[in-house]
This record gives sequence, C-alpha cells and structure tokens, in this order.
Amino acid sequence: MIENFQILYPEIFLSLSILIILMVGVFIKKSYNLVTNLTFLILLILIAILFNEKGNTLIFSDVFIRDSFSNIIKILILISSLLILYSSQIFIKENNINKFEYPIIFLIAILGMFFMVSANDLILFYLGLELQSLALYILTAIDRDNLRATESGIKFFILSALSSGLLLYGCSLLYGFTGSTNFEIINNELTSENIGAVFAMVFILVGLAFKVSAVPFHMWTPDVFEGSPSSITSFFAIVPKIAGIAVFIRFMQVPFENILIEWQSIVIFLSIASMILGAVAAIGQKNIKRLIAYSSIGHIGYALAGIATGTLSGYSSSILYIAIYAVMNLGIFGCIFLMKKDGKYTEEINDLSGISTKHPLISISFLIILFSLAGIPPLGGFFAKFYVFMSVVESEMYTLAIIGLLTTVISAFYYLKIIKIIYFDEIVKPFDENKNFSISGTIFISCIFLITFFLYPSIFNDLILTAVSK
Amino acid sequence: MITHTIFFYFFSIIAIYSALMVITSKNTVNSVFFLILDFISVGCLFIMVGAEFLGMILLIVYVGAVAVLFLFVVMMLNVAEQKTSWFRGRVTKGTHIPSGLFVSILIFLELLVVVGGWKYKTNIMSSGSLPIDQNTTNTHELGNVMYTDYVLYFQLSGMILLLAMMGAIILTYRKRENIKRQSYFKQVSREKSSSVELKDAEFDKGVKIDD
Repeated sequence: MIENFQILYPEIFLSLSILIILMVGVFIKKSYNLVTNLTFLILLILIAILFNEKGNTLIFSDVFIRDSFSNIIKILILISSLLILYSSQIFIKENNINKFEYPIIFLIAILGMFFMVSANDLILFYLGLELQSLALYILTAIDRDNLRATESGIKFFILSALSSGLLLYGCSLLYGFTGSTNFEIINNELTSENIGAVFAMVFILVGLAFKVSAVPFHMWTPDVFEGSPSSITSFFAIVPKIAGIAVFIRFMQVPFENILIEWQSIVIFLSIASMILGAVAAIGQKNIKRLIAYSSIGHIGYALAGIATGTLSGYSSSILYIAIYAVMNLGIFGCIFLMKKDGKYTEEINDLSGISTKHPLISISFLIILFSLAGIPPLGGFFAKFYVFMSVVESEMYTLAIIGLLTTVISAFYYLKIIKIIYFDEIVKPFDENKNFSISGTIFISCIFLITFFLYPSIFNDLILTAVSK
Repeated sequence: MITHTIFFYFFSIIAIYSALMVITSKNTVNSVFFLILDFISVGCLFIMVGAEFLGMILLIVYVGAVAVLFLFVVMMLNVAEQKTSWFRGRVTKGTHIPSGLFVSILIFLELLVVVGGWKYKTNIMSSGSLPIDQNTTNTHELGNVMYTDYVLYFQLSGMILLLAMMGAIILTYRKRENIKRQSYFKQVSREKSSSVELKDAEFDKGVKIDD
C-alpha cells in the first residue's frame, strides 16, 4: 500500500498543494497575487518532479499507470498551463476576473487531466475526465456578470454533460460485454466478434471526440471560444486537447488494440470531417477567437489523422503535432492579449488592419505564427504536418493524405488573409502600448521555438517515439 | 417469521399505495409528500432484506435531500394545483395519460424481460453460495473495500465534490455591502448599565429620549 503512495507522489503533491493554497486564499484578504505566485511555484516543482520520474509501474491493483508516455504528456500539460497563466496575468487583472479561485481551479483541471492520462481503468478515467470538465465549466463562466460568458458556460455544461452520458453508457456496455473495467483485461477479452463491445467502443469514441472537439461533435467550440474570456479560451484551445489526444492514443493502444479496423474507419471519418470543416468554416469569420476555434478543429483533424494510422510512428507524430500546435496557440493568444485599443480589448480581425506601421514586432510575430499555423516551411508547423503525413503515407492511406494536403491549402487562405490585413491595409488606430514582459516573453519563446525547430526536428520526434513505444 | 411477513406486507402496501398517490393526487405538494412516504417505506423494505446501508442511504439522500429539493421547487414555482385531471372530472385537451401509459407499459415489459431472463438462466449462481461473512454488516464491508482497494477513487470523488462546492460559491456568492450582521461578542458583553436607564415621567409631559 505504501509503495502505491510513493509512486503516486506527484499527484498527491498536487492535491495537497491545491488544498493548502485554497486555505491561503480563503484566510488572507486580496490574495490573488500570492495564490498565483504559489501556483507558478507548484507548477515548476511538478515539472521538476516529473522530469525525474522513470520506469513503468502499475499501482492500486492495476488502476493507475505511470510510464514515460504519461510523463511526457503531463510535462507538456504543465509547461503549457504555466505559460498560459503567466501570459494572461495582465488580461485577468484588467478584466476583473482576478479571483483567487481562478488559479486553484486551473490546478484542479490539471489534476483531473493527470488522472485521465494515467488511467488504466474505466472508472479512474471517467473520474479524471469529470474532474477536468467540471473545472472547465466553472472557468468558462467565471466572468459571471458577462452575459456571453455565462451563456457559453451553460451551453458547454449541457453539451458536455450529454457527451459524458454517452461516454458513460459506452463504458457500462464495455463492462457488460467484457466483464471488467481494467484496460488490460478488456484488451484480452475484446475481439471483433464481440459485437456488443464494438458497439460500446463507438459510444466511447463519441465522448472522446466531443472532448477534443472533432467534427461532428464540434458545435460547442466556436461559441465557447468566443464567449469565454480570452485567458480561459487559450487554456481551452491548448491543454484539454493535449490530454484528449493522449487519452485517444491510450485507448487505442491498450483496450481497443484488437479492434483496430473497426476503430480506424471511424477515426478516419472524424479526421477528414474535422479537416474539411476547419478549413472551410473559418473563411468567413470576423472574430479572431472564432477563427482560432475553427482552426483548432482543423488542427485536431490533422492530429487524428496521425492516430488513424494505428502505428507507433503515427501516434508519436500526432503527439508532436499537438505539442507544436500548443506552442503556436500560445503565441497567437499572446498576440490577442496585446490587442487593446483605448483600454478595451478587441477581438475583431479588422482591428488588426495596418498595425505593421506602428507595431513591427507584434506584426512580425503574427506573421511567424500564422505562417506556421498554415504549415509553411521552414517553420515548426510545417514539420508537425510533415511527420503526420509521412506516417499516413507510410501506412498507405493515400486518400487521407491527399484530403489533408488539400485542406492545408484551403486553410492557408484565411491565415494569409490576416497577414494581408496586417501588412497591406490602411491603419485605423494603433494598439495601446504594453510594457509588460510576461506577454512579449511568451510570444518570443513561441516564435523562437517555431523558427529554430527546423535545426534539429528529429530530437523531439525521437523523444516522443521512445516514450510511446515504451 | 410471521412478524416478518406482516411487516413486509405492511410496508409494501404503503409503498404501492403511495406510489399510486404520487401520480394521481391533484395537488403537487401532496404528490411530493407521498413520494417521501414511498421512499421511506422502500427504505424499510431494504432494511428488512438486510441491506441496511442501502436503506439508510435512501433515507438520507432521497428523503433528506432530493425530495426536500422537490418540495422547494414545487412550492416556489407555484404549480401546486394541477389543471388537468387524471382519471375523474372533466377531461380537458392535452391530457398526458396515453404517453404516460405507453412509457409505463414499456418499462413493465423491459422489467419482465430482465427478470425473466435471470429467472430462467441455467448457470446462474445463487447469492447463498457466495462467500459472505454473515456477521459483518454491509457498512463494515463497504468501508473495508472503500478505504483499501478503492481509496484512489474515493479520494478523487472527494476532490470532485470539493470542486463542485467551490464552483457553486464562485458563480453565485456575492459579498453584500451595508448589511447589518449579528455580533455575538457585542451582544453578550452588553451590560445593564449601558442599556437600561430609569427616568421619572412627569404627568402630561412624557419623557424625552435622546436618540
């Protein structure tokens, strides 16, 4: 029993620190800054702990798994959450959502994702998922006096609860047809002749697809992205997607390994539909957060294309894809935090027109990040797509690769349109000056990563490949 | 044994009667009270078959929380009197008896299939052959696994409940200014000399109290 707790200590540390900073927040008046700084400290310590974690262990009667795959995903989650919280400090304070609960709920969402990623059992997976989604519902509606934020909170809550219900239905069917909730035992029991279990797999897939917002379960994404405050949107766009893709891979590697053919056709459909919708629906958008919502749907489509191959190189390419996607979104949300005119934050794309004359640095970072999102070499986004399509072609799924490449070309249109607005339109009004280092630092890190990625792209790929293959 | 039978019939008749009354009584508040009675009698039936934990949970969760919540909602929404009558009296349009009957027949058939399927299964194991220690209570047994094998789930559920509580507070609690609060310390430390004064009242003039 004690060995279990020794292996679980990163999660125990996180839970205990959540409880402690909750007490700090309650008993010290006006403690937002203190709690946020403590949160940074906790995240840094956790990153350090997880870097030192090694080995492959199953604990709590094979319920919780700690392996290099889950560790690498957790480190990704932690680093991106740290940068999101760091870059959105000014935004949070100026929009009066600086309640001390904000960073605490942030941490609880991360705790939920930790259990989701490490789950080797349906019950633990579901509990982690619910912990994560419950934290996300609260975060969406945290700006409670804002009508749109509360509306998007309610919308997200209802739809997500529905998808959790479907997922749970799938879990209970799977338990009924295989006799266990443990992933390893399910893997042994599951064959394509077991029709009921294949049926259950479809329900679980629907629930997962909702959580990563793949088409046709994407309906909530644009509204929630637009309605919630930008600091929350950046969290939504990045961190739950990393966890969702990781769980997708976990489900495919362990419990559903034997019914790969059945699962593959559905994932290919999800992937193609997401890529096409992400490319087409974003063209007409005027609000930049809505545009990013559609672009994130498209990017999830590419990540799912890697998963659809069912090979190790495919899995590692989709993790690499989601990691680079996270870096690009960190940068673009940093730029959105800078879009402020006369003390008010704007979200319209037309507000960007002609800012290159007044703000050359913001414009060049927009340029780099948008080119990278469009997948233009030699930036990081190109290598992300390159690895995905390479593994897709290796497993001879040419239709998927061709559709993916076509949608890349279509989506390049709206990314380039923003660059055209920034560089070639008349200036209307410049943005307010921003002297704070936190936002520009994050954008700088993101741009440097995207530019220098081509120097040694295989280092990350090899790292992830070894983690996935154990 | 005979007392057991008497008690069983007593509680089950109350359960069936109150279940019928839940759907037939015209006043919605009465319906909710019958629902509570139904829960209590079913809880007693659970205790009679030896599932004392389930019975108590039914009492605490359903009677203590859910039914009281129902009662609040019914009283607040002002839907106490039902307009359309179910069985007797004038039948207005828009009666929901047909759909209700359809759903209940469907559920009844499903129950028949489920129970029949179990009843006529050949290789079914009777609960008597299970290795159950008759001397430990249900609560004890549940606690045994809850704090050993399932401690991770148990603690994680605790985190979910904590988060739900925090969320409710964040989204609804507003600190109100200028509100008069009770101060126990001031109340208790108040003395007679500081609050009671003796004055002579003059005839036809009264007493002027400075406020």
